[in-house]
Amino acid sequence: MEYTLQFGQVLKYVPYLIAGAWLSLQIAFLAFCGGMVIGLLGAMGKIFGGRIVRSVVGVYVTFFTNTPQLSQIYFLFFALPEAGILLTPYEAVLIGMTLNAGAYLTEIQRAGFISVHRAELEAAETMGMSLLQSVWYVILPHIIKVLFPPLSNLYIIMTLGTSMAAIFGVEELTGRALNVNAITFRSIEIFSVTAGLYLLVTVVASTVLVLLGRWLFHVKGKVF
Amino acid sequence: MKCFGRKLFFGFLVLVFGLGVSMVQARTLDEIIKAGEIRVGINPTFPPLGLFNDKMEIDGFDKELATEIAKKLGVKLKVVKVGSPDRIPFVAADKIDFVMGAMTRTSARAKIIDFTIPVHTEVMGVLTTEKIPYKDYKDFDREDITFVQVRGTTPVPFIEKNLPKAKVLLLDNYPDVIRAIAQGRGDAVVDVIDFMWKSTQTHKQVKWRVVETPVNVYFCCLGVHKGNYTLRDWLNVAIYDLHRNGAIDAIWEKWFGGPMIYKIRWTEWF
Repeated sequence: MEYTLQFGQVLKYVPYLIAGAWLSLQIAFLAFCGGMVIGLLGAMGKIFGGRIVRSVVGVYVTFFTNTPQLSQIYFLFFALPEAGILLTPYEAVLIGMTLNAGAYLTEIQRAGFISVHRAELEAAETMGMSLLQSVWYVILPHIIKVLFPPLSNLYIIMTLGTSMAAIFGVEELTGRALNVNAITFRSIEIFSVTAGLYLLVTVVASTVLVLLGRWLFHVKGKVF
Repeated sequence: MKCFGRKLFFGFLVLVFGLGVSMVQARTLDEIIKAGEIRVGINPTFPPLGLFNDKMEIDGFDKELATEIAKKLGVKLKVVKVGSPDRIPFVAADKIDFVMGAMTRTSARAKIIDFTIPVHTEVMGVLTTEKIPYKDYKDFDREDITFVQVRGTTPVPFIEKNLPKAKVLLLDNYPDVIRAIAQGRGDAVVDVIDFMWKSTQTHKQVKWRVVETPVNVYFCCLGVHKGNYTLRDWLNVAIYDLHRNGAIDAIWEKWFGGPMIYKIRWTEWF
């Protein structure tokens, strides 16, 4: 009655799974980029904004960092149509992940902002720089070295987090693994292969991030 | 990097061969009796076969039938929550002794698990809304039609093979499938109409419609671990008894509000 592993039955689906892995990377990348923009604006709002702006950003961050991402996407996918907004599965997942990432990235970037010496900001102000110019020319170059490692970690976590998209009908890596499982019923084999692909995807993404960090921001990072 | 790669490779080997060597052994009938408990997998998102009652306990046709089976065996029933995509892995990994939830008997599944004699049938058809005019399921083979299906269920490969032009959106459970159609994300679902109907009651504003031509009739059994013949043979006798004394029909009518559309023709030879 012992179960016999048969990887041959699932290996033929590897190209199909790789296409799913590509979609996972794509979702994570787009959500991360969108989240960076939201995070930057959120961090600026929290530090330089008035009371109302700070409160709005605070509520946003509190809500999105203290509720499960799954619930947030579920709301976008199933509750919004009741208000006449019908998002496709891909849109709902992408918007949900972006908003969620934006909340975390607000906090990460805010921490970076406050690490900048007051004197540097005052110098920028003396030179007549606007707030946006100060952020772009003074704050970002300063904080990017500090923030690069946590940002890279978040990107990897987000890549793995795309697996929940399967619940909403997005055929990313986990969704495709479940499909293959439904055909072959070889769950141990298929999820071993899927785990291997996730590992490959995250190692490749980490390597690219380390190289980017070295090239663009002179950040010394290691993949392992 | 080299060192990590080596560790990773050996870690993976340990995982794969570790699983292979210590692969699970299903509990035989004697072991279940000795343990005094039988573990049964039921999908609670599949009303009225499986559902959560007012006390948030798993209930439904499957639970009641499993209770009868446990009573016949003289052991306690332990209900284990399973989902459509993971119910077969639960049996294969010996997390449960048998699985319910409309386990359609297919030759593909029979490579992985064993089936008992049929417990009930399911008449597969197309559930849609009055917006869609087609009268035969074959009419749904169009590019502008989107089926919303539960991932891992039998109709998915059926649609891919027989209605290849139609799009398919795969979701996680039946209530979500019905909600998605009600909200206009898709046009129809191919599945067992009896099971779908209960979920449609949440969306009474939608004018639901069953397509006249049924797709097929399937036979649903209990799924047991491959090669666990002691348990399977006993379950066959128990199911035969429950058919013969009318218990299965009575439980069915209680939960479905009417008789099985296609009755099981039970026989003393099995």
